[in-house]
Amino acid sequence: MAEALTGNLAQLPLVDLLKMLIAGGQTGRLHLSSGLDSGEVFLHQGVIVHAEADTAWGENAFIRMVGWPAGPFRFEPHVPAPDRTIEKPLEILLAEASRFAGEREAIRRIIPSANVSVRMARVAPGPSVTLDAADWELLAALGPETTVEDIGAEFGWDEFDAMKRVSRLKLAGLVELGNTVSAAQPVQVARALAGPQFFKALTTAVAGALGPLAEIIIDDTVEDLGFTRANFPRDMVASLAERISAEIKDAEKRTRFQQTMLAMLRPQAA
Amino acid sequence: MEKDLTTITSVAHVGGAFVCDNRGDVIVSSDPAVLATVTMNTIGREVGRAFVALDAAHAPALRLDFSYDRWRLLAQDIGEAVLFVVCQPEADMSIVRMSADVVVAGWRKDASAQKRLQRASIERKALVKSSSLDQGSMHSWSIIESAR
Repeated sequence: MAEALTGNLAQLPLVDLLKMLIAGGQTGRLHLSSGLDSGEVFLHQGVIVHAEADTAWGENAFIRMVGWPAGPFRFEPHVPAPDRTIEKPLEILLAEASRFAGEREAIRRIIPSANVSVRMARVAPGPSVTLDAADWELLAALGPETTVEDIGAEFGWDEFDAMKRVSRLKLAGLVELGNTVSAAQPVQVARALAGPQFFKALTTAVAGALGPLAEIIIDDTVEDLGFTRANFPRDMVASLAERISAEIKDAEKRTRFQQTMLAMLRPQAA
Repeated sequence: MEKDLTTITSVAHVGGAFVCDNRGDVIVSSDPAVLATVTMNTIGREVGRAFVALDAAHAPALRLDFSYDRWRLLAQDIGEAVLFVVCQPEADMSIVRMSADVVVAGWRKDASAQKRLQRASIERKALVKSSSLDQGSMHSWSIIESAR
């Protein structure tokens, strides 16, 4: 089996890496990770044929990964694609990724954060208002402190989709934005989970510092924070890492553990 | 040390970082300077006093986290000096604190950083001499001292 090509996106951005693999007519699997996210791009004879990242597939997965600023990659030649979900060449995919980034930026200018509350406009935008069914349902779901994030959770949309729909209603003058709801206020939203891949990497790092008690220490700390591994939220992983680092008495091992965790977490926080 | 500070300032929602000696003088600051020098001096001096006072009150602290409406200030005692990190409220403080720990651990092993810190090392107790305290602060300090 041919040797894998490994590196980091910080040194070799994904676009340059793909251009290189395409120019070489490569077939294989490119595994990428950035913080807690990971994904794969498959090539067949120098053509991108499939991508997946978490729950996204095809072009959506590819567009998501193009934005990753840093993280390790590994290209394994001759691994066949499990599916064909991409039919477009790299240039078109990059143009779409760029359009998507522009659209995202335009929406962010209207909806600065998913934590902002949304309410129906007090004054109608005109003498008559025409609504389609989807807009009607969204407006009907608005409560006194409903945030964009709540709307996404209610309708099963991701954050970007929710922001996009609310921004359209805002431009139409149908909704107004209120305050940003801080984390201290009770908000019923589905939180992204840390997932088994994170716990696998965490166990390796903790074992390096604390030995065979790693699993027990992790479980105890997770429980102290009021969760289980299965429902541990992604936005708490830094707090978990910090608590575990406090258990490491050896200063050198503690620093090494913190460095490992920061390398994993900082791209996520960026 | 300037380069090390970028490890902290590159964390999302961190505005800057600086180190003050135990008199409040700035030893190193991120570029661009996060706050006016006089402000950094004042913060350095007052937080240095807070560390002395906490120690005197038998509640020693290695880290203080000041939380305001629009910003947060992390102060980490590194013995010869205090490391300050200025953040927005959205900053993930666990990442900020761990980044500060890693940077401070690096300085402990870095001879040139140690030289700079030692050169600036000034006895922290000087911060609570009667000559350097105003009347109100002196009164507060006497209360803490009387309870020792």
